[in-house]
Amino acid sequence: MDFLSNAVVLSRMQFALTAIFHMIWPVLTTGMAIYLIVVEGMWLKTRNKDYYLHARFWSKLYVLNFGIGVASGIPMEFQFGTNWAPFSEAVGDFFGSILGFEASMAFMLEAGFLGIMLFGWNRVPPVMHYVATIMVAFGANLSIFWILSANSWLQTPAGGVFVDGKFIVNDYFQAIFNPFMRNSILHMFLATLETSLFMIGGISAWYILNKRHPKFFTLSFKIVLAVAIAVTPIQLYIGHLSGEQVYHYQPTKLAAMEAQWETIPAGESPSWSMVALPNDKAEQNDWEISIPGLLSYILEIKPKLSEPVQGLKDYAPEDRPHLIGLIYYAFRIMIAIGVFLAALMALTVLQWLRGKLSAENITQQKWLLRTWLLSAPLGYIAIESGWIVRCVGRQPWTVYGEVRTVDAASNLPPGNVLTSLTAFAITYSILAIAVIYFGSRIIRQGPNLDLLAPGEEIREGLDTSQAEFVPDSRPVEAQQ
Amino acid sequence: MESIERFLPQVWFVILALFLFLYVMLDGFDLGVGILSLTASTEERRGILMTSLSNVWDANETWLVLMGGALFGAFPLAYGTILQALYIPIMIMLFGLIFRAVAFEFREHSSNKLVWNLAFGIGSFLAAIGQGFALGGVIEGITVDSSGHFVGGNFDWLSWQTTLVALTLIQGYVLIGSTYLISKTEGDLQEIHFSTAKLSAYTTLIGAIVITIVTPIFYVSARERLFSAPLVYLFALIPIAGVFLVWRLLNSIEQRRERRPFVWTILLFLLTFLGLGLIVFPYIIPTKITIYQAAAAPSSLIFMIIFIGFLIPIMLAYNIYQYIVFRGKVAGEGYGD
Repeated sequence: MDFLSNAVVLSRMQFALTAIFHMIWPVLTTGMAIYLIVVEGMWLKTRNKDYYLHARFWSKLYVLNFGIGVASGIPMEFQFGTNWAPFSEAVGDFFGSILGFEASMAFMLEAGFLGIMLFGWNRVPPVMHYVATIMVAFGANLSIFWILSANSWLQTPAGGVFVDGKFIVNDYFQAIFNPFMRNSILHMFLATLETSLFMIGGISAWYILNKRHPKFFTLSFKIVLAVAIAVTPIQLYIGHLSGEQVYHYQPTKLAAMEAQWETIPAGESPSWSMVALPNDKAEQNDWEISIPGLLSYILEIKPKLSEPVQGLKDYAPEDRPHLIGLIYYAFRIMIAIGVFLAALMALTVLQWLRGKLSAENITQQKWLLRTWLLSAPLGYIAIESGWIVRCVGRQPWTVYGEVRTVDAASNLPPGNVLTSLTAFAITYSILAIAVIYFGSRIIRQGPNLDLLAPGEEIREGLDTSQAEFVPDSRPVEAQQ
Repeated sequence: MESIERFLPQVWFVILALFLFLYVMLDGFDLGVGILSLTASTEERRGILMTSLSNVWDANETWLVLMGGALFGAFPLAYGTILQALYIPIMIMLFGLIFRAVAFEFREHSSNKLVWNLAFGIGSFLAAIGQGFALGGVIEGITVDSSGHFVGGNFDWLSWQTTLVALTLIQGYVLIGSTYLISKTEGDLQEIHFSTAKLSAYTTLIGAIVITIVTPIFYVSARERLFSAPLVYLFALIPIAGVFLVWRLLNSIEQRRERRPFVWTILLFLLTFLGLGLIVFPYIIPTKITIYQAAAAPSSLIFMIIFIGFLIPIMLAYNIYQYIVFRGKVAGEGYGD
């Protein structure tokens, strides 16, 4: 129980807990917002009221999700100062400014238009409302840009030098557009989009399976399936590119991801380890199942390695990550889910082409729909696994090769951190339960198909019979 | 280029003060309404209070995120040292903000509204108290070594002076929350808030007067600043202007004006900010570290000004737009369907 009196370990645990919890919510905030752009756009274009009703229904889940995202996001920003003050001082010139850009360009934009998007349907013209939806989506996804640029800079610092432990920026653009940045942003963007697609698909599948508004939800099901056709394979490719970059820029992380203890020279065709039992003390894998010749294909899509793969044993224990098993399996889980979702997409498209997803047939596709339902949370598991690889694999560095985590932490009384850590654990557990409870309630209640679209009220006013005019005195927010 | 090296941190001090002021004004009334909701007599009234905020609370809170990010980028040393030193009040604030935020969503869906009403009210109160002690802790001064690293105690921020600041801040939030509600509610509910506005105007005034007297007595550095020319003339004006504004505020409440009280309160907040800014400047970690010592490199400050600077009017514009869209009275309940 040594760690209970070690403020560094406790601060790390707190960061891990708050980051893992927070990561869940921006997924829908970014990905579902794009879906909302699609359906609202289709409504404006086709005037098919089903699209409007979809926008209204999914917005209910969207706002539930959004609130926790905001609530859990504020501690992230302040934690750099409270628990990682030396880090903040060392890299704040760049890293802090990026967070400032994120707040001013992305957060403020989505917050500034969210009210209109959720509650302004009858207060602004439809085009203006659509602009609001686009601004929310744009702001949310712009956060991905800035956060992943900042985190990528931690992985591949660029654009300046460390002088006496403090980072001096020479070239801002090089710092922002650091080597990892492009692939990381794309990978994260596609991850949140893909997870949102399969969430919407899974929930739609639930309705179809239960024969509740099957036609209504076949619409959303097909929309997300169509987008998934592009997203799932591209994500696998971007994932590959990300891995290849880790190979070139972060040898210790790659060695951990592959549980590779011994260095493999260039020019070889090593096997890819599929499952293994890593043993940190003995610096070996106690047993292993591997696929011959596959590693160089996985890393570079080439038959032979162009560079050596450094083994963990090449590094002193304090210079390489630990928890090898965690990194190794998190990596494999993430890949497995990515491949699985692509396969599910392909199978479903096949059924679509065979006419099995038509109005008469779709409710019969019980196993396919059940698979979609059970696959709904998989994207989240993949995202968290990926982040675990990214951050735990980066240790012992906070800024790879420059700033060690042990030096980055604030010198705090352990009691402080233990208290806040415990408080976060309890609070977030309560929130998680509440979200699941209220979210399932919203889903079980289902969509309100009797809502009046903004244009419809005007038409009703054309009724020419002698009716008594009773002004609707309910607040706009209740007129739903 | 020595002058630009001094000018840039000054500009950022002003920008940060602007963000902080906007946050305290905007989330100030959010938190004030939240604290007031603890005293609302019926569920319907509480609902109206929450609905009055529902469209704007998130954007208001975002100014805090913006201020944090700007502090981190412009004065990284100050960001780390201050937040570490004020660990406990900052954490209290964070948890308050978490509960306040989620209360909006959950209350709407829940059949047990009481739990989430308390989350909203108590969360708002906790956030305000955390901020109060943080503010008090900063003004009181943070014990640092020569490089600006925190070497003080875990509870340095807790003293009777900082408690006074915290309580006065809460009164200020209740005041601005009341005046906001005066403009957003009607009838009996509005009448209640005329009363709470009047009461909190007095309590805020009393608190501010005590703080004004106490600060020079107990803080040597503040005394030196406050009573040296030419600033002493400016400082003498502030209490006079303050009393004038409070008189106008109370007047507008007596006359049952709907929007004026809110405006006078904003001016009062602005005046307080000017006073605090003058006391603190040029220190960013009172009382030892100046903005020049804590600032990021000039190239970083320039880079940030280019990007964030030109965004400031844009952010203000679309925030104002959202307020315009949702102008008018709140007539009933409903954060969301």
